[in-house]
Amino acid sequence: MRKICIHFQVVQPHLLRTYRFCDINQNHNYFDDYQNRYLIHRLADRSFLPANQLLMELIKKYPDSLYLSMSISGSTIMLLKEYYPEALDSFKQLIATGNVEITGSTLTHSLASLNNKNTFLEQIKLQEEILKSTFGVKPTVFCNTELIYSDEIGEWLYEAGYQTVLTEGARHILGWKSPGYLYCNPYKTELNVLMRNPNLADDVTFRFNDSTWDQYPLSAEKMMQSIDRFPKDESLVNLFWDYDLLGLVQLEENGIFDFFKAFLSQLASSANHQLCTPSAIIESKTTKSTIHVPWAISSSGEEKDHNEWLGNELQKEAFAQLFKLEELYNKSTCEYTKLAWLRLQNAFHYNFMSTKWLPHESVKRIFDVYPSPYQAFINYMNVVNDVKLQLEKTKK
Amino acid sequence: MKVLMFGWEFPPHISGGLGTACYGLTKGLAKNDVEVLFVMPKASNDEDQTYTRIIDASAVAVDFTQPHITSLYKNVSFIEVNSKLVPYVGINQYYQLVDQMRSGSLETQTSEGKRTFEFTGKYTQNLMQEVEDYALVAAQIASEYDFDIIHAHDWLTYKAGVAARKISGKPLVVHVHATEYDRSGEDNINDIVYGMERYGMSEADAVCAVSNWTRNIVINKYHIDPKKVFPLHNAVEPVLKEVVRKKYVEEKIVTFLGRVTFQKGPEYFIESAKIILDRDPNVRFVLAGDGDLMHNAIERVAELGISDRFHFTGFLRGAEIDEMFGMSDVYVMPSISEPFGISPLEAMRAYVPVVISKQSGVSEVLTHAIKVDFWDVDAMADAIYGILRYPALATFLGEKGKDDVDNLRWEKVAARLKKIYNQLLNS
Repeated sequence: MRKICIHFQVVQPHLLRTYRFCDINQNHNYFDDYQNRYLIHRLADRSFLPANQLLMELIKKYPDSLYLSMSISGSTIMLLKEYYPEALDSFKQLIATGNVEITGSTLTHSLASLNNKNTFLEQIKLQEEILKSTFGVKPTVFCNTELIYSDEIGEWLYEAGYQTVLTEGARHILGWKSPGYLYCNPYKTELNVLMRNPNLADDVTFRFNDSTWDQYPLSAEKMMQSIDRFPKDESLVNLFWDYDLLGLVQLEENGIFDFFKAFLSQLASSANHQLCTPSAIIESKTTKSTIHVPWAISSSGEEKDHNEWLGNELQKEAFAQLFKLEELYNKSTCEYTKLAWLRLQNAFHYNFMSTKWLPHESVKRIFDVYPSPYQAFINYMNVVNDVKLQLEKTKK
Repeated sequence: MKVLMFGWEFPPHISGGLGTACYGLTKGLAKNDVEVLFVMPKASNDEDQTYTRIIDASAVAVDFTQPHITSLYKNVSFIEVNSKLVPYVGINQYYQLVDQMRSGSLETQTSEGKRTFEFTGKYTQNLMQEVEDYALVAAQIASEYDFDIIHAHDWLTYKAGVAARKISGKPLVVHVHATEYDRSGEDNINDIVYGMERYGMSEADAVCAVSNWTRNIVINKYHIDPKKVFPLHNAVEPVLKEVVRKKYVEEKIVTFLGRVTFQKGPEYFIESAKIILDRDPNVRFVLAGDGDLMHNAIERVAELGISDRFHFTGFLRGAEIDEMFGMSDVYVMPSISEPFGISPLEAMRAYVPVVISKQSGVSEVLTHAIKVDFWDVDAMADAIYGILRYPALATFLGEKGKDDVDNLRWEKVAARLKKIYNQLLNS
């Protein structure tokens, strides 16, 4: 029986307000409360709430066969708690069914794993705390920001107590191998690695509504056929998506919810397929082979690397300046500024500074916050500068 | 393919961007195997004729015995141009010009009913008469030379273009480098100039606008059929010698370079300077150029109490401009309405990062420049200060900006223009 592992990543950043250089050392309200409130409402109304409702209905219908997993960043939990508690309740109810496994992540959708072990571990710890207090769970599976992973990050995660990590089935890493098997870290073989099937997952993310695609329109039957076409011994299919795929990346009126309803129902009722949480896969599996990932991979772009966030000199500079503040963070007593520093690690800020897509940047973005990567950089650096001053002032 | 092109000026004797653009375009066309006959009111014979043949309108004898010429002449009446609409020249230089030069065209009677006209080719008081005379000469040229298409640059030559079209029956392209809306602003439109512009655009078979910004003005304010209006962005000539970076003061220097007129928005530059200097006095601002708002600018700077950090250089030319760019850390173009705006490209060519207004044509072709609304002085100040304060940004913009400019080649522009020509010839 083929195992299908479905995982959703739930993320939303705290966006920065327009923060001028005149504000440095004068104002310390860095975040755009209005915009953040508006966006989390939009996201929840269009995506989270209808998607949660769909999953609840399906779980009620298939309580013994519908299993999946999900990660929710601490930032998203905080945004929901502050601006939309009803939507947070809906997640709580979903998790209470026991059919949805919550996986670990960083608190703020952080890029720390690309740079800094200590901060990465701090992020994980804080996220575990917020998961514990909100949902009463402790994760054993980890899903890093944008599926970023390397052998070294794997070792850190093992140290932090994780048994399994989700990452991208990057072709340049897998080579002739298939993502349809269970892998493990070469140095810490106890750490299992689940690799996403990029083709199948991207069929939904990028091509669901693409009428020029030869498989358009995509149906649940076509997905099932694609799954059945894999060789028999590839007993695992990993489908990881961003949760906002439902309703925001692909719109309700184009039928994304109906598609998922049909797809999940067919999987749940099929005799040849079994929907599994990552933990369940590990429990039932024995054979696995090692996978070497010497450089960090991610789910980004064609290259599956970190160029989207640290590809140009501006991003590298901003990243370097931010992590220079690590020591100040450790010594500071101001919780507000410390949290701001953690939020500045969010990958979204670095997306906005990307020049990879110029001059056609709007192709990739769901929301455009800045008129150009340059304004994004200036605004970000202005905030970093004030955070630095405030951390210095509040030194123990 | 052969083009009969009407211009008003050609390097080296230029007063604005028009002549430079004409030179670049003819050079680009030559590289695309398009031959250009360039007519200008007054050639001084030191023009670079490598890529085009220059016809001096002052040396063309108009044959008044020809009925088609006299029919054009019949309805011409001359209107004196008031000083306000003189393009490209500030009021100070204008009076100097009037003092120095004989204004207007002089007729010289020759034998057998033929006359030549002597043009100044400047923007002077008898501009309108020159425009009309130029049209007569154009008609004469059109009947003498062989060509496939007519191309007229800016409103001064539209009449000439239309006259040539009537005589030859060949398609006419008018090229809009600026409109009356940019020069004078919504409330001070000169009806005569507006009428002349609209006449040229309506009669033309195709209208080339130097940007989408200008194209929209042509469509919305001149009511021209969008189907025949094409955007054709300017380019720059690559420089042979690099600008030398050399500074004489410790502080960072922020530069505005251009005519000090309503269109260029110098007051927004001054207000941004005030915002920055309030936080950090270690910056110097330079306003280079001259124009009718100069007095207001100086008064405002004094009123804000930033005179010790704000410098006026007056009108700069040639080597002085290069030297200015060599000193600058940021270049600012806060124009209120800029059809294209070539000066940021000159700054970027010298590796100077630029902040430009969104209300400019050049912003449509630049990727590595910071674009702000001209009125948003807070955003402008923040962008300027960001470049001054974060060296990674300045370096990145400087280098990428240079690549940006190097990609804007007249050859490519001319290739697009050739396509438009072919479209007209095949229809």
